[in-house]
Formats: sequence, C-alpha cells, structure tokens
Amino acid sequence: MASHNASGHNEEHHAEGMYVPFTSQREVVNDLVTKHDKISDKWLSGVAAAGFLLVLGVIGFVMRVNDGVSDRMVWAYYAMMFSFILTTASAAPMVAIAPRLANAHWRRPVSRVAELWSAAGIFSLLLFIPMLWILPPLTDGRRSLWFYNSDDPFFSKVPVYSPHIWTTAALLSLAALGIMLLWLSAMPDLALMREHSTGWKQKWSARLSGRWIGTTEQWNMLHHRMGIVGALYFMMLVFVHYLVSTDFLMTLVPGWIDSLYPLTHAANSLQAGVATVILTMFFLRKFGGYEDYFTLDQFWAMSKLLFALSLLWFWFWFSSFNVFWYGKKPSEQAVLKYLMVGSYQPAFMAGFILSFVTPLLVMMWNRVRKSFWGPTIMSVAVLAGTFFDRLRLYVAAWSYPGVGDYRVDKHEIPFDSIPAANMPGVPDVLIVLGVIGGAVLFYLLAARLIPPVSIWEQKELMLYKLHKAYHRTEVLVLGKPR
Amino acid sequence: MAKRSVLGLFTEEQVDEAGDALEALASAGYTTTEYEVLTGTPYPEGTFGEAEPKHKLFRWPLTGAACGFIIGLVLTAGSQLAFPLVTGGKPILSIPPMAIIMYEGTMLGAIIFTIIGILLESRLPRLFMGAYDKRITEGYIGVTVTTEEDRIPRAEEVLKQSGAGDITRGWESK
Repeated sequence: MASHNASGHNEEHHAEGMYVPFTSQREVVNDLVTKHDKISDKWLSGVAAAGFLLVLGVIGFVMRVNDGVSDRMVWAYYAMMFSFILTTASAAPMVAIAPRLANAHWRRPVSRVAELWSAAGIFSLLLFIPMLWILPPLTDGRRSLWFYNSDDPFFSKVPVYSPHIWTTAALLSLAALGIMLLWLSAMPDLALMREHSTGWKQKWSARLSGRWIGTTEQWNMLHHRMGIVGALYFMMLVFVHYLVSTDFLMTLVPGWIDSLYPLTHAANSLQAGVATVILTMFFLRKFGGYEDYFTLDQFWAMSKLLFALSLLWFWFWFSSFNVFWYGKKPSEQAVLKYLMVGSYQPAFMAGFILSFVTPLLVMMWNRVRKSFWGPTIMSVAVLAGTFFDRLRLYVAAWSYPGVGDYRVDKHEIPFDSIPAANMPGVPDVLIVLGVIGGAVLFYLLAARLIPPVSIWEQKELMLYKLHKAYHRTEVLVLGKPR
Repeated sequence: MAKRSVLGLFTEEQVDEAGDALEALASAGYTTTEYEVLTGTPYPEGTFGEAEPKHKLFRWPLTGAACGFIIGLVLTAGSQLAFPLVTGGKPILSIPPMAIIMYEGTMLGAIIFTIIGILLESRLPRLFMGAYDKRITEGYIGVTVTTEEDRIPRAEEVLKQSGAGDITRGWESK
C-alpha cells in the first residue's frame, strides 16, 4: 500500500510518476502560490544570464545597423533567428491547445508552461520590425504570392509592399491571439492571486482578473472561449508560417517552387514547439521546484508527441525532395545543390540527423521515452536540428546575390555558379545569442506575473482523481470531465 | 428596491450540502436568477443541481460558414456565368475549381462570425462583485443569493439550515 507523509504526499505513486500527490484543493493552492511568490536565486540567475545574452544581441544588432540595410547578406543570420523564434517559441502554445481539447489529464501542468511562450510572441514581433526594412519591395522582379507584375497595366497596381503589410497583420493577429489565450487561461489564477498576493503582483492581478468570481456561467464561458481562441491560434499559426516561408524565404531563392514547403515550415514548428515545452518542463522541474507536477507521465506523453512529429519531419522533407530530385530540371537541381548538397551541406546534414535520425533511433525505445533525461536530450537535439535547418535555408536565401536588385534574374540559379556559404561573423554570433536570451528573458518575466503551472487546472484534477484499493495493490482512478 | 447579496460558505467536502442549499432556496421561492454557485475550480456541470448555463456560441460559426459558402458559390458561379469562357472543353460551371473558393469562403465566414459571436456572447463584464469570500479560491464553495433587501434574512436562514459555515453580506446594486 502506498505510504502517505504529513503533507498528504503519496510517495510511492510520486516515485512512479503518477499525478500530483495532494488530496485537497487547499494543499495545491498553498503549494503553488508559495512557489510562485518566492523569488528564487535560480530565477534571478536565469534573468541575469538571459539579460546578458540580450545585451550581447543588441550590440550585434547595432553593429549590423551600422552596415545599413541595403546589403541583405549581412542580415541573413538575423532573418534566420527571427524564423527560429517563430518556429520554436510561437509554436509552443499549440501544446496547450490540442491536448486540452482532447480533455487529457496529463497536460494539466503542461498547458500553462506552453501558453507562457506566447509572451515570446511579443518578442518575435519586435524582431520582425527590422525585417520590414530588410525585405525589398516586389519591384526587384522576384516571384511572389501577390500577382505583382510591373509590365501589366492591371497587376502593376498591386502594392509593392504587400508581403510587408500582410505578414505584419498576420503576426500581430498571432501575437494578439496568443496573449488572449494566455490571459483567458490565467484569469482564475489571477483572481486567486488578487486574493492571496501583495504589492505590485496583487495590483496587476486585480486589474487583469477583472470581476472574476467563479460563477458557473463564467466557468462555462471560459471553457468555450479557450476552445475557440485556441482553434483560431492554430489557424493563424499555419497562416503566418505560410506567409513567412513564402515571402521571407522561398521567393528569395530563384527556382525554388514548392507548394508543400509552407506546410513543412508549419509542421516543423509543431515539432520544435513540443521540444521547447519539454525543455521548459525539465528546467521547471530541475530548478523551479515543480518536481511534484512534472512527473514521468508528462514527459512520457510529450515524448510520444515529439517522436510522432519527428517521423513527420522526414515525410515532409522527402515529399519535397523527391519532386525536385525526380524532376531533375536544371533549376531544380540548382536549388538542391544550393540548399542541400552544396556549401550548406554540413548544416543540412546536422538538421537531418538531429531533427529526424537521432529521435528515430533513440526514441523508438519506450525506456527512453518514459524517462526524464531521454525526452529532454532529444528536445535539445530537435531544437539544434531546427536551428541548423533554418540556418541552411534562411541564411542561404538571404545571402543569394541580387536580392533586391531588379537587374539580377530571379527565376533560376545558374547551375555552374552556386554561391558559397555565408559564414557567420562576430555580430551574427552575438545576434544568435541575443535572440535566444531575449526569448528566454520574456518567458522568465511573464512567469513572474502568471504562475507557470495552472493552479485552477490542478485544483480541478482533485475532483477527478481517486486512489482506490484494487486486490493487493492500489490504483489511481481518473474521471473524465464533460 | 435596493438589491443585496448574501453568501453562504461551504467547505470543499460539503459539495452535497451546497447542492442541498440550492434545492432549499428553490423551495423557499427564490428563482434560479437569484442564486448561483461560486467555485475556485470548474466542477462538472450539474454537480450542485444548478441550472446549466445556456449559450448560443455554436450558432455563430454555423451561420458564418453558411454565409461564406453562399458568397463563394455566388462569386464563382456568377463570375463564370457573366464571362462564359469555355476552357479545354470543360463545362462553364466547373465544380473542382469552384470548390476551392467555396471552401475558403466557408472558412473565412466561420472565423469572422465566431469572433463576432465571442464578443457578443461574452456580454458586459460583471459590474458589482456582491458578497464574496477569498476562501473560494482555496477550494471553498460559495452559494450566493442576490435579491431584494427584505428577502435577505430568509435566504440567510436557508443557507444556515443547509450547513453553510460562514454567512457574509454584500452590496450588489442599488
């Protein structure tokens, strides 16, 4: 029989990775509010480290600004990091949306961890602002989604800044939906903090929680709103990836015509989003004091998702590759040579191995999936693989000679003059570090205002779980809401 | 007449007593619009025997989808009939390409109407907090009655008889 300690902990089940070892709502509230109120040294160290990296990034950015925006090549690594944050942090909230719609219990502590990454959506918006200057208008003669044609009396009237306008609108919508989702999901917890916190946190919680008092109607409405806003976030995420991957990537590479790639870009982001959340869970468990909430169940369930999405990585890549390789037109061969087997081959191989081969060979074993370290190490591999994949695509696209110059042909890469790889300089390295630091800093600051583990969803679990004797053992019985 | 609210507080374990309080209030002549349950976590619908909240949110995407589909149909069929160009021997009204525009129209209509629906169904925020206790956020269950001032004593009596531990009063509106 499981042993219980004074605080209601069920140590045997805890060790097995079962659900939260508390038996009453008050215990959950006390535990999570105490954890959230305490400013730990580890949090301060994280903020200091992330802030330091961000400062380095700002220095790198200033160095690049001194070079101007007319030469797109010097901004290639900046564009890559913008897409990297869009692929990782902005996709992380999807981990909260899908399992919540499926009423899964294991996702209760995971949901807020994922939603908090929507705070980094504001950071990706800030990162996007310089991109508006760097991306040339459609007058350079490149292909585009927008039917612009300077020689046609009708289509020459299409705004030449259409990519800038529509991508800005889509990114703003995505950031707004992310913040709305976070705010809705956090509202009951903000009301709780309104009653239990002090100082600035109490003041902000009171403002943000509005008049939430927990009536049946308010709970009902919250449930429906979260479902609808979550669905809209998913639709907008795919749309943003569609626009960014075409206007800020594919159209810059002459001859790269692939109707599947925008979806590949979005699917890659789901994989990277899951990896981001697993890594965040690991840090919260290891350094945040949330080991009672992020148990083997959460890591096991998330690792299955990561494994499935890693297999999907290959499907998408191969579907596109096969068309180019089998078609073998000179323009297609040149694109393959430029992006995969030429000077960016090391980055492509790193992405292929880290995003697909390693997860396939390692995560096929259940013992690895059902562990703390296995999914975490694989998440690091997937994020590194995503980094290299974005590097070989975005850096190659923005480094292609003639971007913004209408005198250079934009329809085919000459097969015998494939450009060399654009290697990073000191400002690029600083920008890479700064962008990662900035995203982490936004997350850490948001986690000070909103608890990184959803308190009301943990309390709700108390209503549905029951430890029950079963012959010579004890089992955990979980009910399903709604 | 001025309205007041009164709150009866039940512990986490007194779920049945809170449900009994609602039944007793109904028996005492209070309508379902006069009393409600306050909780810090979403209990399954009907736990306290309370009335299920009604919403019409699902109608919005359906209406929007229907409107979008019709606009897509009219746009594609209308433009093809207005400019009847035979291409490759295909019929003037060619369904496969029309279906793409109709699908986009259907989705767009559903999304736009859903956003409008959320805004309208959300209604105005609650203006008066009324009687409230912060222990509700810790797991306690509140049963609040908002009614005319002269009916408050009777409501308090019903709540006490049902097992409410603490009773607090608060202003709702004037």
